[in-house]
Amino acid sequence: MSDELVVVGLSHHTAPVSLRERLSVPPDATEEQLRCVLDTRVLREGMLVSTCNRVEFYGAGPDAEAGLARLRKYLHERGHPEPVQGHLYERRGEDAVRHVFRVAASLDSMVVGEPQILGQVKHAYELAQDVGSIGTLLDRCLTRAFAVAKRVRSETEIAAGTVSVSSIACDLATKIFGDLSGRRTLLLGAGEMGEAAARALAGRGVHLVVINRSPEKAVRLARESNGEARGYEHLASELVSADVVISSTSAKNYVLTHDLMKDVVKARRQRPLFLIDIAVPRDVEPRVGELPSVFLYDVDDLSQVADQNLAHRQQEVEAAAAIVELEVAAFERWRRTLDLTPTIVALRGHFTNVMKEELARTLPRLGELGPTEQKSLDKMCQAMVNKLLHQPLTQLKEGVEGGNGAALLEATRRLFDLDELAHEAAPTPEVKPTAATSAAPEAEPSPEIPSESMGMPDGEAMTERPAAALGGLALGLSPTNLSGEPK
Amino acid sequence: MLLKLAFTITALAYASASFLYGVYLVRGSERAKQWGARALWASVVLHAGLFALELDQLQGLPAGDVHQAMAVTAMATCVVFLALSRKRPIAVLGAFLTPVVLLLFLGAGVGRDVPPVPSPVRTFLLPFHIGVNMLGLVAFAVAFAASVGYVVQERQLRSKRLGGIFRRLPPLDVLDQLAFRSVLTGFPLLTIGIVTGALFASRLGAMDGATSMAAVLSAISWVLFAGVLLLRVAAGWTGRRAAIGTILGFVSAVTVLLGYLLRGSVIS
Repeated sequence: MSDELVVVGLSHHTAPVSLRERLSVPPDATEEQLRCVLDTRVLREGMLVSTCNRVEFYGAGPDAEAGLARLRKYLHERGHPEPVQGHLYERRGEDAVRHVFRVAASLDSMVVGEPQILGQVKHAYELAQDVGSIGTLLDRCLTRAFAVAKRVRSETEIAAGTVSVSSIACDLATKIFGDLSGRRTLLLGAGEMGEAAARALAGRGVHLVVINRSPEKAVRLARESNGEARGYEHLASELVSADVVISSTSAKNYVLTHDLMKDVVKARRQRPLFLIDIAVPRDVEPRVGELPSVFLYDVDDLSQVADQNLAHRQQEVEAAAAIVELEVAAFERWRRTLDLTPTIVALRGHFTNVMKEELARTLPRLGELGPTEQKSLDKMCQAMVNKLLHQPLTQLKEGVEGGNGAALLEATRRLFDLDELAHEAAPTPEVKPTAATSAAPEAEPSPEIPSESMGMPDGEAMTERPAAALGGLALGLSPTNLSGEPK
Repeated sequence: MLLKLAFTITALAYASASFLYGVYLVRGSERAKQWGARALWASVVLHAGLFALELDQLQGLPAGDVHQAMAVTAMATCVVFLALSRKRPIAVLGAFLTPVVLLLFLGAGVGRDVPPVPSPVRTFLLPFHIGVNMLGLVAFAVAFAASVGYVVQERQLRSKRLGGIFRRLPPLDVLDQLAFRSVLTGFPLLTIGIVTGALFASRLGAMDGATSMAAVLSAISWVLFAGVLLLRVAAGWTGRRAAIGTILGFVSAVTVLLGYLLRGSVIS
């Protein structure tokens, strides 16, 4: 039977930050930590995801229970003296695949739909690849997870709308003006939140103008953002030429009154103006928002937008989870074919060997045969093998894809004594207990079975351990007719 | 019989595209967007096939009467929109544009038994007159969709209800620029169309009530679009008022066409 995926870890759902800090692994220590847990008899593949919100080990090995125990023990030791028990979660098989897909698609994140986690998982995957601890199963699982994340982002609105005040301000400005580069942004006052919003906008290429009661602060901020500082006397003219105004003064009364802004709007000739009032108490008289072409957002409005965006993301979770389920099912179909491949290889090898032996015994009795006759005879025998195997292999494949393959595979192996034959033909080589050799990063696409015949999603080529690891039975097999299609 | 069947299938294709773009606007389904574009391309191909079937009935250009002119306008609007949406994030505007296209197409199929074109206007200028009017209408249709998008988007920004429709609609500036450029393209064509139309009217002599009404509506469209352009260029107007002016101008221009259809007359 093929290896099984396991996941053991803790996250913001299950553990406090103090414990997550204790268990987190910096990138430069990843290799060492992976080598600690990998073991050819228990965990042949491994990968470590360590972010501020989660520490998770993904592994694959022939004995899932032992693999889980090993990872559990390792995390207990790392967490010592703080007890880890009760904070860990464990997944295996299909549940582990589902977990990896959900994590990559940001369904398990603190802020659902946040984009960073995908990059973090990709980085962890690359680190594990460098270490050589990614094999067939994890490779397939992770590459599918990245595809699932992409699909979820494109087919749902899980990542739509931002949730911080600065990024909401940027998004709204973009929705009004399109490309922000070169747009004039006036920062009035230099409160902390206003400064953050101005910096975020400056990052999108706006030209920043700062007006502040303290000129030093205005000059410093303007210099940092490649902008310019202006005196308070330029307020009216700057309001006329600005596209975005961020107001965050500590004034007790309205700074931008309705009367002032009425004149400004007139002078602007209906040009849209985005007013962001982050001050408390407010700087902009609320009635200003009723003026034509003025879009006024205060702190409450921005918070409300953040809430709407979060709520919208939550609504999309269901649709995203449905996509994950479809992909998990497709992955499981593929995984089951891993159980099938060694049996097909062995069965076909057995038939081919019998055919070759009988041919070798019969040929001398037939007297002098030319190369053409010999070739024809060889072809005829091969065709017989193909025809004889076609129906059993089709049934096996369908049984495995349908989820009832275990009994069929077992019966096939016993009927033809395939395990014994495999042992005689080529004993499985001892795998060295190092991460680099225990995994199979160099695994090549199986030459024996075309991917279409295995019903794999997206028509991707199936990867498998080299033939030697399957018992060395793939002897002289045609790359195209293993499934026994009659010619 | 075959023509009727082809017309029905094409109408269904336009209706499907319209429905799918509507679903994309409201629900945000990327699949609906992709299939909407495919359905619109299919509609264009089917429509071209319909033209091929009608070839023997055409009088030279496929714009011999107001019905054919409307049908060509519907098809050309789709082609222009699909081409524009390849480079700009304006696919969602299909939700506003395709119902208009469907209306034009269905209108083109109403009352096909039109009286022959009167001989005084059957000159080389006729296809030119119809051609410029058609192209002008295509430009105004795009401007109309962009302006409706602008009004909806602006309303959402003001009401601070920033749901899915808000996210899918393009930025106000993009919509404003698209509407402006489209009106700028359509206006000279409309002007030429009105001038040549006046020429034909003078040849036909006294106008009946419906023709007079069409002339008045054409003049209103022209004044509205001229006002929008003048205020934009001279007074720097952008935004909601310009968008509403554009919408009214287009509605007025389409009313002219529908007016002709209802009275069963020829050419605009």
